[in-house]
Amino acid sequence: MTEEAYGSGPERHRLTRRRFIRTTGAAGAGAVAAGMIPSRAAAAGTGTAGYPVQPIVELSALAPETTVPFTYPDDRAPALLLRMSESALGGVGPDSSIVAFSTLCTHKGCPVSYRPEHRLLICPCHWSTFDPAKAGGLVIGQASQALARIELRIESDMVVATGVDGLIYGRHTNLI
Amino acid sequence: MTRVPIPPADAERRNTVCQFCIVGCGYRVLKWPEGREGGPAPGENALGLDLREPLPPNSDWIAPAMHRIITERDGRRFHVAILPDGRCSVNHGLASVRGAGLAQTLYAPDQETKARLHVPMILGPQRHERTSWWEAVDLGSRVVKAVMDRWGPDTVGMKFFDHGGGGGGFENNWAVGRLFFSGIGTRTASIHNRPAYNSEVHAAGDAGLAPLTNAYLDARLADTVVIVGANPYETQTNYFLDHMAPNLQGATLRSKQAAFGAEPVEPGRMIVIDPRRTMTVAAAEAAGGADRVMHLDLEPGTDIALLNAIARVILDRRWHDVDFLRRHCEWQTFESYQRSTLQVDRPAGEVVAHAARRCGIAPERIREAARWIAAPKPGGFRRRTLLHYEKGLIWGLKNYENIAAIVGLGLLAGNVGKPGTGISRLGGHQEGYVRPPYPGGRPALNVDESVRRGEAKVFWVGGCNPVLTTLRAEAMERALKQRGRIVTDALHATHGAPVGERVAAVVEAMKRGGMFILVQDIYLTATARHAHLVLPAAQWGEMNLTSINGERRLRLYERFMDPPGEAIPDWAIAARFAKRLRELYLDDRNPLMANRFLDFEWRSDEDVFIHARYQFDGGANDPMEGYAGVTYDLLRRLGNEGIQTPVRMVNRVPSGTVRLHEDGRFFTPSGKARFIPAPLPWPGYGAAFEAQRRRYRFWVNNGRTNHIWQTLYHHRHVPFYRDRVPLPYIEMHPEDARSLGVEPGDLVELSNDVGTVRATAYPTTAVKRGHTFMVFGQPRGAAGDLVSDHVDPTTTIPYYKGAWADIRRIGPQPGTRHVSFRPQNVAG
Ligand code: FES
Repeated sequence: MTEEAYGSGPERHRLTRRRFIRTTGAAGAGAVAAGMIPSRAAAAGTGTAGYPVQPIVELSALAPETTVPFTYPDDRAPALLLRMSESALGGVGPDSSIVAFSTLCTHKGCPVSYRPEHRLLICPCHWSTFDPAKAGGLVIGQASQALARIELRIESDMVVATGVDGLIYGRHTNLI
Repeated sequence: MTRVPIPPADAERRNTVCQFCIVGCGYRVLKWPEGREGGPAPGENALGLDLREPLPPNSDWIAPAMHRIITERDGRRFHVAILPDGRCSVNHGLASVRGAGLAQTLYAPDQETKARLHVPMILGPQRHERTSWWEAVDLGSRVVKAVMDRWGPDTVGMKFFDHGGGGGGFENNWAVGRLFFSGIGTRTASIHNRPAYNSEVHAAGDAGLAPLTNAYLDARLADTVVIVGANPYETQTNYFLDHMAPNLQGATLRSKQAAFGAEPVEPGRMIVIDPRRTMTVAAAEAAGGADRVMHLDLEPGTDIALLNAIARVILDRRWHDVDFLRRHCEWQTFESYQRSTLQVDRPAGEVVAHAARRCGIAPERIREAARWIAAPKPGGFRRRTLLHYEKGLIWGLKNYENIAAIVGLGLLAGNVGKPGTGISRLGGHQEGYVRPPYPGGRPALNVDESVRRGEAKVFWVGGCNPVLTTLRAEAMERALKQRGRIVTDALHATHGAPVGERVAAVVEAMKRGGMFILVQDIYLTATARHAHLVLPAAQWGEMNLTSINGERRLRLYERFMDPPGEAIPDWAIAARFAKRLRELYLDDRNPLMANRFLDFEWRSDEDVFIHARYQFDGGANDPMEGYAGVTYDLLRRLGNEGIQTPVRMVNRVPSGTVRLHEDGRFFTPSGKARFIPAPLPWPGYGAAFEAQRRRYRFWVNNGRTNHIWQTLYHHRHVPFYRDRVPLPYIEMHPEDARSLGVEPGDLVELSNDVGTVRATAYPTTAVKRGHTFMVFGQPRGAAGDLVSDHVDPTTTIPYYKGAWADIRRIGPQPGTRHVSFRPQNVAG
């Protein structure tokens, strides 16, 4: 993955990818036993600056167009993992198709849900619409930022959450 | 890690209103010194919230976009947080995508907004060079005076904001009006986005209606809301989300019952008349269900035929409001309206069928729309319909007849001056229009022509950017470049010479076709690049200002920070020029002219407001402007609720007006509303447009969109917004895209007999085949480059939506990998 030389490209996206490279580079420090059942039990290893490293789902169990709800970085923070049928910015796994986001809408905190027929995450309150293939960016609507993106990496056959890029709705810091 | 600092409990608090769209949502400003922070316990922070737990939905969450660190003129640094105000009845704590990022528009020397203009500048041999306010004002005033004395005041052309909110406010508008109208006395004046100085809704005025008749409350109470040529989800966001959508959802039934007693009520309905299936249509369907939303996707320019056909059905079904028509309308005009507009001499079926063919809307749907607008409710109660329109109609085929058609439809069923009704434009920017009368007549002079043809010797532009937004934009820029260059050469040749000599050289250059250009603005815009004098203005938040929103809600937008460098409010710029002009005329022993520049001795923002206020006391001739008894102090006490204009003194207390025309009186000599008969059932495109339509494959509609405000003058400096629309995009039907070999994100070129422009393709079924829609006013591609300079001769308003062009693929556009081209109109 290379940095694009695009002057007016999204700050957040550039940041995201730098961070993504850093986290994948750190892989191996936290090996997670293959076949381990996704759980909230803290896994061994390190995430981004103080974030828990948390296994979410086995890669082999994840067909295209599947979603896996979980919570991260704590149990008051609902999130959704998606394996898309296309490659996604900042995605991991086969064809970079796996991404995860906080499902708290960054407008006023309602829960967004995935609409496979449109490949969009849509909020029922004021219809803010986010594109999971574009780092959770706002396609249309009233939020002032992308959905907070859960940073992932693959360890053996496990998709693991390692950090959060962007502030989760309702918090002044993600780790409260 | 992303983190937003916690405002301490003793943070400074100010009220403000969003600087952007007409809705004017209330916002709270919190300011505290850098290096300090509050705590997460409720008593430790200015929000009074427990931040040790995640906040529930709909809380006063400070998103990162709502925070910025600013630097004042004395170098002190502060945190500023700007968050939506839950106590404001306009938005009840909701932010729009634009308002949530207000903090990102603040000047900060370590952020991209450092591009703000700091100092006055003069065009030097290579580039703009710093000069002093004294020198800039002296040179500019001498040139203006020389031109007035030699060629008369009409050779001083101007194009200025007339907004409220970020674009101006009553204070700046009053000062600008006094300088140009009372002082200079020019008729060569125009309003920011158009060639002349005119109302966009002359026909409503001639009918006796105020432009903004209703309260936002009426959208909660209406049985049916009609939206013509507007997209409120995106561009009047919280009016839609906080007022219209709850009505469609049935969440306002209790308010309806309380207001209407025995009258049957149900969740609201919405009719959207727009060639595109906009996000407004999708969101309305998500809110109310598809069976309560009707989308009439008419063919371009056929609004008159459609609106009049609906009205004809209403008349035929005898659903019109006979009592209202008898008591409150000029009956003679109603008779001619029936004959010439509604064509009562022809059978209704024939009129409807004819209109249906013209508009591409089935006759049954026209009849159904009439039913939704005017069929009586059970028990014989009149249906309450609120009619709104905006640029689709205003900048449509025939401005005057378009507006006359919607006004006629509204009056016919008595839908004005009652709860749940109204006939109003939705509005774009906020309003703050107080000026002395425009010295010209109607139709107003076409300033763009005067600039292009060489009649204007001075062109003074304030807070707008005609190079991007006017029609035939390329020709405008060419005139600025070529005519400006002649004066630039004269200035260079006299560099360092005494000012008198320089002015003489400029005047000589004008005889050879030169034009002296002044621009006052907050950024070095595409227009400002051509200016001989660039004057740095203060923006919203850097001065106190007052404005009204789309329901005439007047509030004080408090100053909370310094302008950058030597920037000053526009009113102060106008005052400096006026004072200098007065001195120059006194030196000339011309007291008559000197006295035209008297009374600019304002010391504060409020001085200007009070000065303006005395001219507008809410008398019978002021449909909306009335500020009797209003002071900054009163507005401070009223906070973000403010007071709805016109404000009149009742028992010595300033009293606002929730809704206009409730007394059944209209602004005509008879006090009755007038119908404005149309000469033809549908006027036709006119020869030039008809030729373009036949010659080119695509209709190129244009308009504003969700993320960005106007020309992105702020938003191009904020990555979140800029990255959504890095280039102008053009929506086209996927099959049309396929036929051109165009993929989402490809660069395409649009061209016609007027000009050429490039855009990024955004294939979507929101537009019909053969139709396209291009973002308006994007700095990297102006839709106006394709629009001819034709104007409605009655109003000097352009047919801005009327352009046809061919499209060809250029190729993939690099740098759009991060841009989403997923559908923008899905909602529920
Ligand atoms: S809370 Fe999601 S759009 Fe408002």
